[in-house]
Amino acid sequence: MPMKLAKFAFASLTILFLVAPLIAILPLAFTSSVILTYPIPSWSLRWFEELFTADAWRRAIFNSLIIGTGTTLLATVLGTAASLGLRNRLLFFCGSIRTLFLLPMVVPAVVLGVGMQVLLAGFGLTNSYAGVIIAHTVVAVPFVVVSVIGALAGIDERVELAAQSLGASPATVFRRVTLPLAMPGVLSGAVLAFATSLDEVVLTLFVAGPNQRTLARQMFSSIRENISPAIAAAAFLFIVATILIGLAVVLFRSMLAKRR
Amino acid sequence: MSAVSSRTGRSLVLLAPLLLFLIGFFVWPLFSMMSQAVSDPAVLRLLPRSAEVLTDWDRKSPPTMPMQTALMEDLKAVDDDQALGDMVRRLNSARSGFRTLMSKTMSALEDTANPPADLVSIDKRWEKPEFWLAIADALSPLTDRNLLAAVDLGRNAAGDIEHLPADRSVNRVILVRTFWIAALVTFACAAIGFPYAMIAASLTGWKRDLMLAAVLLPLWTSLLVRTAAWFILLQEKGLINDLLQTLALIDAPLPLIFNRTGVIIAMTHVLLPFMVLPIYSVLITIPKNLMPAAASLGAPPWRAFLRVLLPLSLRGVASGSLLVFISAIGYYITPALIGGPGDQMISSIIAFYATGSANWGMAGALGVVLLIATLLLYSVYARLSTDEPGRR
Amino acid sequence: MAEFIRFDRITKFYGPLCVVENLALGIGKGEFVSLLGPSGSGKTTLLMMLAGFEQPTSGNILLDGTAINDVPTHKRDMGVVFQSYALFPHMSVGENVAFPLQMRRLGKAEIAERVARALDMVQLSAFVDRRPSQLSGGQQQRVALSRALVFEPRVVLMDEPLGALDKQLREQMQLDIRDLHRRLGVTIVFVTHDQSEALTMSDRVAVFNKGKIEQIGTPRQVYDEPATRFVAEFIGETNLVEGVVEAVQGQEATVRLRSGAHIVSAVSGSVASGQPVFLSIRPERVDLSETRGEARNCLETEVTDSVYQGDHLRVQLQNAAQPLIAKLGRRSREFPPGTKVYAAFSAGDCRVIAP
Repeated sequence: MPMKLAKFAFASLTILFLVAPLIAILPLAFTSSVILTYPIPSWSLRWFEELFTADAWRRAIFNSLIIGTGTTLLATVLGTAASLGLRNRLLFFCGSIRTLFLLPMVVPAVVLGVGMQVLLAGFGLTNSYAGVIIAHTVVAVPFVVVSVIGALAGIDERVELAAQSLGASPATVFRRVTLPLAMPGVLSGAVLAFATSLDEVVLTLFVAGPNQRTLARQMFSSIRENISPAIAAAAFLFIVATILIGLAVVLFRSMLAKRR
Repeated sequence: MSAVSSRTGRSLVLLAPLLLFLIGFFVWPLFSMMSQAVSDPAVLRLLPRSAEVLTDWDRKSPPTMPMQTALMEDLKAVDDDQALGDMVRRLNSARSGFRTLMSKTMSALEDTANPPADLVSIDKRWEKPEFWLAIADALSPLTDRNLLAAVDLGRNAAGDIEHLPADRSVNRVILVRTFWIAALVTFACAAIGFPYAMIAASLTGWKRDLMLAAVLLPLWTSLLVRTAAWFILLQEKGLINDLLQTLALIDAPLPLIFNRTGVIIAMTHVLLPFMVLPIYSVLITIPKNLMPAAASLGAPPWRAFLRVLLPLSLRGVASGSLLVFISAIGYYITPALIGGPGDQMISSIIAFYATGSANWGMAGALGVVLLIATLLLYSVYARLSTDEPGRR
Repeated sequence: MAEFIRFDRITKFYGPLCVVENLALGIGKGEFVSLLGPSGSGKTTLLMMLAGFEQPTSGNILLDGTAINDVPTHKRDMGVVFQSYALFPHMSVGENVAFPLQMRRLGKAEIAERVARALDMVQLSAFVDRRPSQLSGGQQQRVALSRALVFEPRVVLMDEPLGALDKQLREQMQLDIRDLHRRLGVTIVFVTHDQSEALTMSDRVAVFNKGKIEQIGTPRQVYDEPATRFVAEFIGETNLVEGVVEAVQGQEATVRLRSGAHIVSAVSGSVASGQPVFLSIRPERVDLSETRGEARNCLETEVTDSVYQGDHLRVQLQNAAQPLIAKLGRRSREFPPGTKVYAAFSAGDCRVIAP
């Protein structure tokens, strides 16, 4: 039994290590103090107020939403189309294309950021929404590709053949069978793309100007320069968003699983 | 046959947009970063006329009149003193004596009252092809200077590669530090992640779900939120120090932030999921009856573990470790926010060169080093995760 | 019976691999034809070419006299039933069955009526709103069947449709499908590797081997009159005995075995005197007795083993280095090993096969 106890203690401590920091930051969002420490003197919503009224924060939230939406649309369209193209296993270079599509996940963000800044400066796209959306799309697209390829791989090809034999033209097969079956993958890819954009800091540091400061970028400089409980309030929003996103992904996955 | 080719055509049409997008905004940026690393057009920009004339020179014979005139014109047109200084330094390192030669030449050229007819009349040294050779070489827009400097190497006057003097050898320290921190984080992740994954795989039902959720929740949480959380926990008046002081385990607050300890704790937290998940996914494929089988064959539990479970799960540990290590060497945010000046990793230095001092050549060169290290490790990881182990 | 489908010198290569070789086959209207063979024999490929999922490398497929090589699948008007059912997982049972009717742009009322009728036919009316994943394997296959039949296709193609079902359900479905075929009179091409399934259901069976048809005929013909050694061995169990033809008299030949014994046997192909051949003797046609009987063919054997198998007794015999198997009805007496017995069979119960 001591073995069992040790296992239990180890698992509990690790769970504490993993989860406690996230929980510890939450109450501080509601502190009335200007410093980020416990104990909390009294409860207040002043930092949420700050978040939604202070110009820098409000603007950052707004920018994050614009850039996140743009990235999600672009990455989902490009990634879904490419995943559909990759289904054709007759293409001999499929493997290397797939690797290329996934590589932005691997390349260190700072390296990509340096190159991106040099390149976008050449196009005159630094300090523009378009530039930031492009940069975010590069790193968000792998998530869409992985998610959609996964969903497409789960489709029994014979289901599509059956639809054809029942009188559906290739376009109808795509509209009535392939796309609905891949939809949960497309949606969870889109959610992941949005989350990636929301959390992106490094590329944003390199390509965004002061007018495209995102929430994550604002949090970064705020932690670095003058940390305040506004950070905790922003973190609170992020964690709530995370839980919602997580629930959405779980929902899409279970939709996918139910169809099997 | 037509059906096959139309299908291929359709696939290509679907693939093309993302392919072009990534070539334009992923591959090309990396190449332009690399080209920054090896390009040095500073001299070429200052001496455009000489560059034109010198292409016809045979690199052996004494300078011709047009060469001298072109160089004089170029030098007269220079208005950027700093660029001129950089150029002279570079020429001098290729051919000693250039510094005095250049200052003499520049002051002679500034003497508008008494303009020199040619360069040789200013200084006899301009007759020697060696000096022109140094200029001709410096005009080439390609250089390995930055790449060598990235690993603390340089060329001496004779053009041989040698170590830079200690006062200029900062990059190697940072590279070693980057790999050392990454290795420590990988080790910490493996030490926590392997037993954790084993316990999770041995459980069922809600207990297993809880253990997995505890891994997935941080994974899905914003990196900044996690870093901010550690910032709050680790600071001098943070929860950890408070707790330890309340328990009277320590008298004065422990220094946990802006140092190596903090960086390692925070990075381990951030990267632990990347260790647990690959190991877990390997462990659950191992049939549950192997350990009882080993026991029935007479193996005590620890030997059964060493001979059966460990070898089978090693692949998961290897891919998890590579994943953590690859991510760790490229880390920027966590060391930048939690670490002190002595904990900055290669990414921070690249960012410093790029945004702080606008030294794109050095930023690019260090970027190339990091990129190559990452891609090499990734190719090992990719092979590991596609190869089915023969013993299964 | 008018010829409805014709495979005209069909050849199919996958890269360098020839899976169907210069194959000719005609199928009549309303006929139930099984394509029977081991996996990799080309039967499924032939079906896929008929459905339009694959293109023949050379040769023509004719439907009702017209070549359909260039007609895309969705215009061929053929219902396909797959082993994996291939139901649309995101549609209800009713929507699945309605799909082919919607593709044909029928009116709502007519679709509803025909879906109801088609589901009624397979006794699944109560499941119209269920998702396929909520049904058992057998129910799913019946949905797939009614989906393939509801639009009254010109041909129904079935690719091992019962392969994923357990034995009892499979046998029930065999009878159900046979019954549906008789009621609807639709042309069915049925691919299977299960010989008893093919024999149970088909009007005719085409036995495939290595991309070619070895024999085509009624179940009775392919079982009782195997044309080749492959057919004799693939369908049912058989005793193959080597011998040399001594004389041919009309539909019968006298064959001398290596042991020296003479056997008079029916002939399906043409054989000549002096030709080395095989004799195929079905085990259940062999009678055993301890005394030499009246039968024309009688071999002296010794029982080496005898196994009780419930519905029959399986006796292993040895005749001068030649092993033989006999399946005896369950009312037969036991034969302990070592017993000397005579194995007897009539000329019509064995077959001369040219090797």
